[in-house]
Amino acid sequence: MAEERNRSSSSGSSEQRPKRRFNTRFVRKPRYCQFCSDKTLVINYKNTTALRKLTTEEGKIRPRRQTGTCAKHQRAVAREIKRARHIALLPFTGGTWEEKIR
Amino acid sequence: MHNYELVIIIHPDLDDEAIEQSLDRIKGWITDGDGNIDKIDKWGKRRLSYQIQKQNEGIYYLLDVSMLPTSIAELERNLTILEPVMRHMIVAK
Repeated sequence: MAEERNRSSSSGSSEQRPKRRFNTRFVRKPRYCQFCSDKTLVINYKNTTALRKLTTEEGKIRPRRQTGTCAKHQRAVAREIKRARHIALLPFTGGTWEEKIR
Repeated sequence: MHNYELVIIIHPDLDDEAIEQSLDRIKGWITDGDGNIDKIDKWGKRRLSYQIQKQNEGIYYLLDVSMLPTSIAELERNLTILEPVMRHMIVAK
């Protein structure tokens, strides 16, 4: 494994790569906050189906870099998820006890 | 007067009469503090995301309430004492 990696890296450095004018290796997709673009979407603790998409499988709040939500709406999302957790509409952690009874 | 949303989770093993009784008490506390109940929404028996008081289910009620901010604290204290209510939450609208 290690040998292979060494070989590939050494061969990569010895070869002359064509120079790029711009970094075309990684192009960021233009993204826009879903709540800014669609004003009809309301972030509410009662709407658990929407909030579930904004949490990971373990029940953590998904970061902005994953969902593309703007800072203002992410604050609202975090607040509503925490409210939903308090009244047991959303889990604090993954469905461990749910698995226990099944 | 401010508008609030009150969510309560009632113990699932109670019969309808006992639920009605505790709801009446809550309504009484709200009206005593010069408040109005605008709407009562029964969500019914729902599965909880995690256990509360060793229960997997709870009976949810959503009350739209308008009342004075000063009487909220007392309502909150009364709700914690009321035994059939497993969990409650008051949210300003």
